[in-house]
Amino acid sequence: MRFTPTELTDAELNLQREVREFLSDELPPGSHEPCLGMAARKDKDFSLKMAARGWVGMALPKEWGGSDRTAVDRFIVVEEMLRWGAPVGHHWVADRQTGNVILKFGTEEQRERFLPAICRGELGFSIGMSEPDSGSDLASVSTKAERASDGWIINGTKIWTSGAHENDWFVCLLRTSPMEDGNKHAGLSQLLIDLKAPGLEISPIPFLDGSHHFNEVTFNEVFVPDTNVVGDLGMGWHQNTTEMAYERGGPDRWLSPFSTVEQLLREAHGTELEDTVTELFGELVARWWGIRNLSLSVARLIDTGEAPSVESSLVKEMGTRYEQEVIEKLVHLIDLEYSPDSESLFERLLAQCVVTFPGNTIRGGTIEILRSVASKGLKGLPT
Amino acid sequence: MTEDSLVDPLVTETAHRLFSEICDHESIQAAEARGQAPEIWNAFAETGFPWISIDEGAGGSGGSLLDALEVLRLVGYHAAPIPAAETGILGGWLLASSGQELPDGITTVVPNGGENATGSISGEEVLISGRALRVPWARIAERIVIPLAIEDQTVIASVDSAQCDIEPMTNMAGEPRDTVNFRNVRVPLALATPDVDLEAFRFRGALSRAALMAGAIEKMSQLTVSYTNDRVQFGRPVAKFQAVQQHLVWGAQDAALARMVAETAAREATRGAAQFEIAAAKLVANQAAARATKACHQAHGAMGMTQEYPLHHLSRRLWSWRKEYGGDAEWSKWLGQVAVSRGADQLYPLITGGSAALN
Repeated sequence: MRFTPTELTDAELNLQREVREFLSDELPPGSHEPCLGMAARKDKDFSLKMAARGWVGMALPKEWGGSDRTAVDRFIVVEEMLRWGAPVGHHWVADRQTGNVILKFGTEEQRERFLPAICRGELGFSIGMSEPDSGSDLASVSTKAERASDGWIINGTKIWTSGAHENDWFVCLLRTSPMEDGNKHAGLSQLLIDLKAPGLEISPIPFLDGSHHFNEVTFNEVFVPDTNVVGDLGMGWHQNTTEMAYERGGPDRWLSPFSTVEQLLREAHGTELEDTVTELFGELVARWWGIRNLSLSVARLIDTGEAPSVESSLVKEMGTRYEQEVIEKLVHLIDLEYSPDSESLFERLLAQCVVTFPGNTIRGGTIEILRSVASKGLKGLPT
Repeated sequence: MTEDSLVDPLVTETAHRLFSEICDHESIQAAEARGQAPEIWNAFAETGFPWISIDEGAGGSGGSLLDALEVLRLVGYHAAPIPAAETGILGGWLLASSGQELPDGITTVVPNGGENATGSISGEEVLISGRALRVPWARIAERIVIPLAIEDQTVIASVDSAQCDIEPMTNMAGEPRDTVNFRNVRVPLALATPDVDLEAFRFRGALSRAALMAGAIEKMSQLTVSYTNDRVQFGRPVAKFQAVQQHLVWGAQDAALARMVAETAAREATRGAAQFEIAAAKLVANQAAARATKACHQAHGAMGMTQEYPLHHLSRRLWSWRKEYGGDAEWSKWLGQVAVSRGADQLYPLITGGSAALN
């Protein structure tokens, strides 16, 4: 394990400037209701505008509609979008992971069919992993895909499916052959499923504050053609693990409370701050700077062709806990009774953070699972 | 990455090998009892390592500040009981910046500048009096250097330790942090170059501690990983238990974080003003030390609480270094004032740009 300090090149700093200019025009500071990180509003028009700049699927090859940019370039764009609280929800999953999976494991026909549309910002994807009886123990998934002529028949249920009611496609981890004793990782495959397919039923699982992100997706004899199997049959576990490496350790795992902190400073403008509040800003700035440097070094490592899975798990575990710590510090210091309908934007955001941030250390793999992944990787290091 | 951001690999390799050979558990323990470790110091000094980053013309060993800080990181990693920072990038730097001779032996510095010791200029001399507290390794130093602000000038007083009364005191790691009494000692007046003042000294002190702390946290994390993989309870290594994995992961994160911030601050300080990076690095290192010592001690159980097991060489140093050259409150206040005065729109550009965004 080694996180090597890195810094942005002049070209990368230019990209950062370009993204900041774009955001200043589209969402002038103080004029929009910021989103809290990756749980952002879906705004297809915004996604299309970003895509027109080449900032969706930007790390994908040009021949498939991408821009052949690096992981660091993508880091810069994502970081600016999230800290700005931009509505990146529509293209988020496709940009972060599905595009990569299709590029890496998909057929030529699938690349042709999906990648250019992803890069145009058109397609929204959901991820189908958890089931009612399979959460952290993901390999125990039991939703079955059974052989039919030219395809597969699916029966079963996926849960906690974010955005299924708004998205177009569903990348599902399914059991394509029965579980073998002692090898539960075998027999799993990834299938691309049209969320409008006959027999597929989507019902909301209201979030604790009543909002609608989660769904239960039920398959009742849903037909999926052979051409929608991603990669080799039975290789789903491996592909899924690879996919999860893309979703770890990026700015989405440590920037969620940033717009709330920034808004506090905006609203405090012109008032005399107590020392403890000034010190809190100092502490937050320092820690964000440190975590950002770690996260950026992971992106740089990916660009050298490495798969830094231990490093990215460490950053994700640390970053998501930090997000909660930031909110706890604000709650501790700011003596207000904030609520989702407070007049002040800062108070509204803080209330939203308090209510939704317990999920930050759960989504995309609980921190307990991340610790187990990371601690195995720590073993055998030189002492 | 540009040339100026890379450590000379030979420096890392040589310093690591040297300390691996001469600085083991017993020798660190013995140094604590004796209040010094002449064998370790002599072997270290022979390589010229203490004076890296000070011009050869001024009596130093040449090389970059980045290399000097890499050596300090390894001093921390091996818990080497020697005044490496004081002799080199602190005391040596102050002497060189005021055109004064570097001694062959150990130099130390009065960390709180003129707070405890005072000086007055009389002609071509400075008269030093007062009682300086927590002076590292004063008892074995040849020169004691005091940076003083007198009449808008930065005076660097270099005092022969034989002319001072030294009362032995220690820090929590048992390293000398002596009290030094100056009784109207006369030294030649020497002024620092304009870029060197008490503030610059404070930052440089913090930078030295951040490097030492990064090394110590990393070693502590590695000890914890290996101990918990060896120690068997309930029929399996304790590292297999999820409750213990939490401590391993937290220790490793803080090791990575502290090293990242120290190395980034080192890179920027080698290039020029790096106030943001140094302040942030010391603050982050302080807090990382607090969390990592807790996690690593917990994972070691009772064994970590004994003198016979080496964890305490690292944890006790970290608790001491955390309070040297600025604790949490000092640096969070400094950084907070910078952040608040720049306002909301510049908050993120400060995080990404650091000192470069301050101009």
